[in-house]
Amino acid sequence: MFLRLLWESFARQRRRKILAGLAILLGVTAVTAMLGLATTIGDRIHQELAVYGANIVVYPKADTLDVKVGEQSLKPATGNAYLHEKDLEKLRGIFWANNITGVSPELRASLLFARGLDQRTISVDTVGLWFQHPFGSGITGAPQLHPSWHLQGAWPTPHPQVKDGQYAVVLGSTVAKRLGAAIGDDILLGDSHVTFDSTSPTPAIAADHAKVVGILNTGAAEDNEALLTLADMQDLAELPDAVSRVEVSAKTRPEDAFARRDPDALSPKDRDVWYCRPYANSIAYQIREAIPGAAAEQVRQVEQSEGTILERISGLMWLISAAALLAAAVAVSAAMATAVLERRAEIGLMRSLGASKGRIASLFYAEAGLLAMIAGVGGYVLGSVIAAALTASIFGQAAGVALSTTMLHAFNPVLLPVVLALALIVAVAGSTASIRSALRMDPSAVLRTGA
Amino acid sequence: MKMVSEAQRQHAEAMLEHAMPVIQLVGVSREYASRSGVVRALDDASFTIGAGEWVAITGPSGSGKSTLVNLLGCLDTPTSGKLTIDGEEVHAMSGSELDRFRADKIGFVFQQFHLIPYLSALENVMLAQYFHSMTNADDARRALERVGLGARADHLPSELSGGEQQRVCIARALINDPPILLADEPTGNLDAANQKIVAGILRELHAAGSTIVMVTHDPEMAALAQRKIALSHGKVFCHPVQHVVVKLAQ
Repeated sequence: MFLRLLWESFARQRRRKILAGLAILLGVTAVTAMLGLATTIGDRIHQELAVYGANIVVYPKADTLDVKVGEQSLKPATGNAYLHEKDLEKLRGIFWANNITGVSPELRASLLFARGLDQRTISVDTVGLWFQHPFGSGITGAPQLHPSWHLQGAWPTPHPQVKDGQYAVVLGSTVAKRLGAAIGDDILLGDSHVTFDSTSPTPAIAADHAKVVGILNTGAAEDNEALLTLADMQDLAELPDAVSRVEVSAKTRPEDAFARRDPDALSPKDRDVWYCRPYANSIAYQIREAIPGAAAEQVRQVEQSEGTILERISGLMWLISAAALLAAAVAVSAAMATAVLERRAEIGLMRSLGASKGRIASLFYAEAGLLAMIAGVGGYVLGSVIAAALTASIFGQAAGVALSTTMLHAFNPVLLPVVLALALIVAVAGSTASIRSALRMDPSAVLRTGA
Repeated sequence: MKMVSEAQRQHAEAMLEHAMPVIQLVGVSREYASRSGVVRALDDASFTIGAGEWVAITGPSGSGKSTLVNLLGCLDTPTSGKLTIDGEEVHAMSGSELDRFRADKIGFVFQQFHLIPYLSALENVMLAQYFHSMTNADDARRALERVGLGARADHLPSELSGGEQQRVCIARALINDPPILLADEPTGNLDAANQKIVAGILRELHAAGSTIVMVTHDPEMAALAQRKIALSHGKVFCHPVQHVVVKLAQ
């Protein structure tokens, strides 16, 4: 009988039900779209800001000792302190390992470059990096962390894989210009003890042969550098497994005052909370814990920009969502007030038949709930599609996200119960005043007037 | 109306005196607060209605009839005094206890029928079962047959005449076997032919032992009752038994 009453009652007063349902649908659509964007915007902004580099940098601990006597820095040379490349695997074991989206270790040295024997030699800052390096289940390296780098040619591969055992090198555009080298050219390279003069007592044979596989244009310092694979650089520098610096890109939570606290000065409970939040600081802390002899710190500029943008956008989204839900609740309230008023004789009859107020209220709430579920599912579908379209239009060009791709991932099943619960809250909140006032009516007066 | 002897009247009164009182009011008053002060809608009412008795409540508009019906129907509680129905003190009950008590003890018949328009006649009867305990379609169908509507059970109220709707309303009032049938102007919206049918059903119910409390403006309907309780300005005037003898004589 309850279901019969519910269904028959639901099917009546269609105009008012449609109005109330439409209000819920629009509110849920707005909230779904906002939540859908909010859940992806962090990733998208992270992708966009990743263009500007990593947000955490890891150094050998000795490198961070900033010893000065007067104006003279006595900081140890980088060459004296290195991290171990094999230790980078430990990054996959930290608490927030899944938030690490890119890792780029580097080893730097100054090498001499020449087009050939008796040609002009120039000293070039040379960096060994990861290129298309397997890490966990994905691929990482400098190109992933610096998507804005513009490369002509190919990234270098370790030299045993290159024809004739040459090293593969990518030259910065300025370096290539100074050497007069182009892609495919053979060049000589060696450390500062090597000379490329055929008449020199030191045999030129000590120089290594390299092939230019690419020219890099970044508009920044890299234009004056040459890039090799990390393995080749370790080989040339005779520093096996050595890494002088590691750039880490991680998805982080916007920095707040709590993020800036010193974890070692916090109470154990607060420290746990701090540790378990994906602040750049806590990820850096975990990296320091995981890699022996490492110092890790966040790159403030990128991190703060990301945090500030996310904070402002999420604040705006919450505001829009709250306003949409409030408007929906007001509209539901107006529609339900009239709907309940029109049925006061029915309520009076039920009271006279011995129905408790709670039982009558449950019938009306069930009706509002059914409406909320139907409108909620509609709003979820509509909102998800809108979120996907917005994501494609806001981030499409920069992040290379096509509308068809975002549509494929438009429906986030985790959002469905959340928005249905919100729809239910809106429907119940909007109906409560009307139902309470209807139950307060004197049933005998209603039944006598025949309303 | 057939005249009765004094001896017959005294016999009938004696019968009712020995009947168990199903409703008992002792000094019952109901006051309402209004802008002009406190209004005493029912003033110190005291009377009893015996089991199986048919009582008509009469009085002009504003005399307190609605207030009395609300109290007898357990839709309201007195401001002061004692109201006992079927041996239970209603005046001390909470709201939820009154709901339960009303479902068990009172069957309502309304002037405007108040059938749920989207439910069939059968379902309207079952609605009273639903709020009382469990629905049983066979019992509901039997209740409709009892009022001569067995063949119209599956019709919607809009497909029934006024008289038929009122008979559905009576079937609904009877379905839970309440000790009291509270009829508020049961024929007020009916034409003469349907009024006769409904009056006949009420007479049969009374003959079968139902206690009927009927509010009416209609002298003909009031004449069917054994006793009249007249109200004026919130005061109760109980008339002696006079018609019961007529019924008995018939």
